[in-house]
Amino acid sequence: MQKNIGGIIRDCYPLTPAQMVHIHTLNYSPTHEIVNIGTGQYLQTKLNVAALREALNRAVERCESMRMRIWKDPETGELWQYIEPYQNEFFEYYDFSEWQEETVTEVLTKWTSQPFDTFGGKLSRIVIVSLPDGYNGYYFNVHHACMDSGSVIAFAKDVMEIYSSLLYGLPYPKPMTSFIDSIKKDFEYEGSRKQKRDEEFWHKQLEMPEPIYTDYRGKEKLLRFREESGNPNQRWGLLTSSNGDGATITYELDVESTQKILDFAHEHDIPVSAVILHAIRTVLSKFNDDETDITIRDFVSRRSTVLNKKCGGVRMHCFPLRTIMSLDTTVLESMQIIKKAQEELFIHADYSTLKYMAETRERYGVGPGGSYHSMNFTYQPATLNSVVPYLKGIGFKSRWYSSGKQPQPMYITAMHRPGDGGLNFFFGYQKDCATPEEIEFLYYFTGRVLFRSIENPDKTIKEIIDMT
Amino acid sequence: MFEKMKEIVCEYVEVEPEEITEESRFIEDLGFNSYDVMCMMGDAEDKFDIEIDQEEAIKCKTVGDFLGYLGGLVNE
Repeated sequence: MQKNIGGIIRDCYPLTPAQMVHIHTLNYSPTHEIVNIGTGQYLQTKLNVAALREALNRAVERCESMRMRIWKDPETGELWQYIEPYQNEFFEYYDFSEWQEETVTEVLTKWTSQPFDTFGGKLSRIVIVSLPDGYNGYYFNVHHACMDSGSVIAFAKDVMEIYSSLLYGLPYPKPMTSFIDSIKKDFEYEGSRKQKRDEEFWHKQLEMPEPIYTDYRGKEKLLRFREESGNPNQRWGLLTSSNGDGATITYELDVESTQKILDFAHEHDIPVSAVILHAIRTVLSKFNDDETDITIRDFVSRRSTVLNKKCGGVRMHCFPLRTIMSLDTTVLESMQIIKKAQEELFIHADYSTLKYMAETRERYGVGPGGSYHSMNFTYQPATLNSVVPYLKGIGFKSRWYSSGKQPQPMYITAMHRPGDGGLNFFFGYQKDCATPEEIEFLYYFTGRVLFRSIENPDKTIKEIIDMT
Repeated sequence: MFEKMKEIVCEYVEVEPEEITEESRFIEDLGFNSYDVMCMMGDAEDKFDIEIDQEEAIKCKTVGDFLGYLGGLVNE
């Protein structure tokens, strides 16, 4: 639909359900930086500022979602998006090479805490930077309604490949696909046969008895919720933060241990995500008096087609991954149950996350902001490793910076490092809801459960719990 | 049916249609991951206007296996 925005006629499109999740977050947050994603991509080689500036410009030109703007109709309050035409941009350059690494991280974290003007403004910021130890590259801050982690990686890959092509004459990367084409496909979903199938699936989930909230710090939380509400049978929980203040702690799993997980997953035909989810699930069970009904919120990238893999934008949906299993279930059986539940979730993940949240609240009478999960999880299989062969041994590092706010009380992202391929575990948490010490305990305990499990796949969950 | 199947496959992975044979394995040869395979099968369901049993369909490892499975459903 065409709209007159500031005297210019624009082709406008409604926001997708995936984008609306982040607008929903803003409705409950005092500050807009809560939806910022800050990252940095750095090569350990001499910087050619002009070539990187050129590569960044070309990448922005090829990526529609990098030029996406949100417009709020002042008369109706409706939200629309449009693509701003490409204009060459002069990206600033900061030389931090003589600074301490920690000080640079503080600066880039501070930059990430600068909110964007969601309704009308530019939704990203790129700065070319030099870091200590000879690393050079770019810092990138982007609004989550504009990009998700999958498209941040796709964009970074495009920049790196264009840069390598300009400098070393390597093959020029194929173009990105159209973000607008991808959202047009999303809108075709409305009223389709697939939507009907997905709706049937999710409504069937709601026919099950009410789930139960399991907290990562134990049963006391649910008991306190019950005490506060005066309802001794309450099964949902409410984790909120007064100001959304948050932080991210990153744990780097060594390459050898990562390989153990990958080998196990390959040998038993279990997705890596299901192996990790089994460990998180078992920890929640142990911390909640051996609870057998566990819900973790799982995030799905929804990027299966070539169009969706290379279009940028935000496509992520999230749904509760609920599994009910007795403590006599073996590790392997547990992972297979999770694998099957996750496959079903993936198949039906085009359904609107917000719609399902509203339907869940209505079905079970959940209070505002309440839920059955205390933990959110995503496994990000996309990596920048395909760029590495081009670099012929040049050091390469990616960094993710916190905005100082977190939309979720606890969000674990497992992602492979570029270069050595080891797993990084990012724990994003709200400070009102956890302490760094609790996060550390959670990480190490989850790790213990994970490795005891893959070393003993025929042991039962109960036996694994007793071993840890 | 094979030609239509090639079109669907090319929407999911960056391969040329002529590279796809009935013997092509989705994961090992064509570069699908297991999530792509599930989504592609759901897509085929709509494009061939049939209803597939995901658990059965997922057992198909090659394009030919899946065509055979689809052929059985179409004949039904």
